[in-house]
Amino acid sequence: MTDTAIVLPRARSELGEILYHLVRDPLGLAGLIIVVAIVGSALLAPWIAPYDPVAMNIPDRLQGPNAAHLLGTDQIGRDTFSRVIWGGRVALKVALPTIAGAIVFGLLLGMIAGYGPKWLDSLIVLLFDTLRSFPTVMFALAVVALVGPSLNTVIFVIMVTSIPTYGRVVRTLTQSIKQSEFITAELSLGATVPRIMGIHILPNVLGPLAVLAAMDIPTVVGLEAGLSFLGMGVKPPTPSWGVLLSDGYALIRNTPWLIIAGGIPLILTTLGFTFLGEALRDVVDPKLRGKGGK
Amino acid sequence: MAVLDIRDLSVSYSTPRGSLRALRNVSMTVPEGKIVGIVGESGCGKSTLISSIIRLMAPNAQVGSGEVRFKGTDLLARSEAEMRALRGTEISMVFQDPMQTHNPVLTVGQQMVDIQYRDKKPKAEKLKRAAEMLALVGIPDPEARLNQYPFEFSGGMRQRIAIAMALMARPALLIADEPTTALDATLEVQIIKRLKELQDEIGCGVLFISHHLGVIAELCDEVVVMYAGEVVESGTVRDVFHNPAHPYTAALLDCDPGHIKVKTRVLPTIPGNIPDLVNLPKGCIFADRCDKRHKACDTRPALWTARAGHRAACHLIAEKETA
Repeated sequence: MTDTAIVLPRARSELGEILYHLVRDPLGLAGLIIVVAIVGSALLAPWIAPYDPVAMNIPDRLQGPNAAHLLGTDQIGRDTFSRVIWGGRVALKVALPTIAGAIVFGLLLGMIAGYGPKWLDSLIVLLFDTLRSFPTVMFALAVVALVGPSLNTVIFVIMVTSIPTYGRVVRTLTQSIKQSEFITAELSLGATVPRIMGIHILPNVLGPLAVLAAMDIPTVVGLEAGLSFLGMGVKPPTPSWGVLLSDGYALIRNTPWLIIAGGIPLILTTLGFTFLGEALRDVVDPKLRGKGGK
Repeated sequence: MAVLDIRDLSVSYSTPRGSLRALRNVSMTVPEGKIVGIVGESGCGKSTLISSIIRLMAPNAQVGSGEVRFKGTDLLARSEAEMRALRGTEISMVFQDPMQTHNPVLTVGQQMVDIQYRDKKPKAEKLKRAAEMLALVGIPDPEARLNQYPFEFSGGMRQRIAIAMALMARPALLIADEPTTALDATLEVQIIKRLKELQDEIGCGVLFISHHLGVIAELCDEVVVMYAGEVVESGTVRDVFHNPAHPYTAALLDCDPGHIKVKTRVLPTIPGNIPDLVNLPKGCIFADRCDKRHKACDTRPALWTARAGHRAACHLIAEKETA
């Protein structure tokens, strides 16, 4: 770097800047397209889905893919393609509030633990460790036993078990940023603790956290599918990818199509969000921007 | 009147080995509008001194005694909120490593606007003020550069930005903690010149820490030599550099490559190490490494006056007077 660095007028906003660099990265573009496709089809399910996802059509049951039923039908003749699209709604309905909640609580607890006094830090870390020590499924079983299976139960269980993941990352980042010289420099220029936390630590934490969240969405969707598969999540006839998988598993001797149809969206979601997360990691850091190609 | 008047300051750190006495009875003053240099090798207490002035001390640091009087009132007696109000407005600081002193994810403009949070001015005016300051420290095209991130600047420019931020509120005291150590020699000269010009214009007192003796000689009016947590010599730059009264200062000057006239294979060093600050020696703190050690050195010397305004903590001065 020299004193005569090129002066670029930065006309784009921060978000525009991130988007601009994201679509220039092939991986990021692929991730973005997949994610937009999944989210879009979930949002527009009532218009896109060719059939009612819960309408039975016994004569057409257990068909393979054909012109009328793109992904075939299940044992009571429901259109699998429609069910996959509607299942995306359930997946996102679980993933978004879960991740949002986990980020908010993770940020709050993690930053307090990272910046606050030692005893508070120990207390919060103890809380995180306690939460993490529950196997998610066992915890879910306990909650389901108490309040019964429902979508909200799934959301609650996954959110609570995800908080420590975010909280720990935030705590570690906060601790290391707190030690940086620029924080001391800001303090020596009279910055207050809320300003240090909000203006200086938070933006440094958000980038890595966004990446973590993007990569975590498939895990959450998978967890929802898993819990539904075990019968602890959404109840039939509501279509969910997990329910599709569980139906497909039962009928795997009759037709492989059901389990394939339930698996494809899970794989796509995982790939899409992981690509997006990887690309985001390079893009949110202003220093790595525009240096694409690894 | 002195902007900064440190009286008899002692600071110690509690460590597993016991109390580490990082500063012992340090007294020094920064007169209004003057530049005072502090010299000393690593571990002599420079950083502890600065952090106790600005009151950003490590959690295990304790002030044993003394006062840090800023414009006549003791900073050590102030509340945290009062201190915060002073930082950045009355007392500012420039740090050693310009690559580390800026928030990497915010633009320079955002950071310079942010530190003006105490002013109730519209943002456009704050940006204008930031651009003015950047121009003042010699950054070309300041308006456009406000939109850039710290990594888009070179080290020298970042240090100028740090100086601009520190001087934004025209403080009465600027503490510069080795601001040129991380820069190369040409930049060092530029930054020193600019600092001197700005100091002339703003009229602030400057406490300048460095182990580069040439820089101190160039920039400072007065110099304080510290060794192992004590002030061993203080006086005007001319007196201290031309007639060092303490053997440590003399040895330090001998070791400065700038002073060595004859070609040599081995650079001179001061043999030995600084004493253990947990178990302090009884007598003179420098005695173990001193080539003028004699019997009197087993007792602790006071800061004696060698000539008007020039003081050193060495028995030789007292002996010369009585002789």
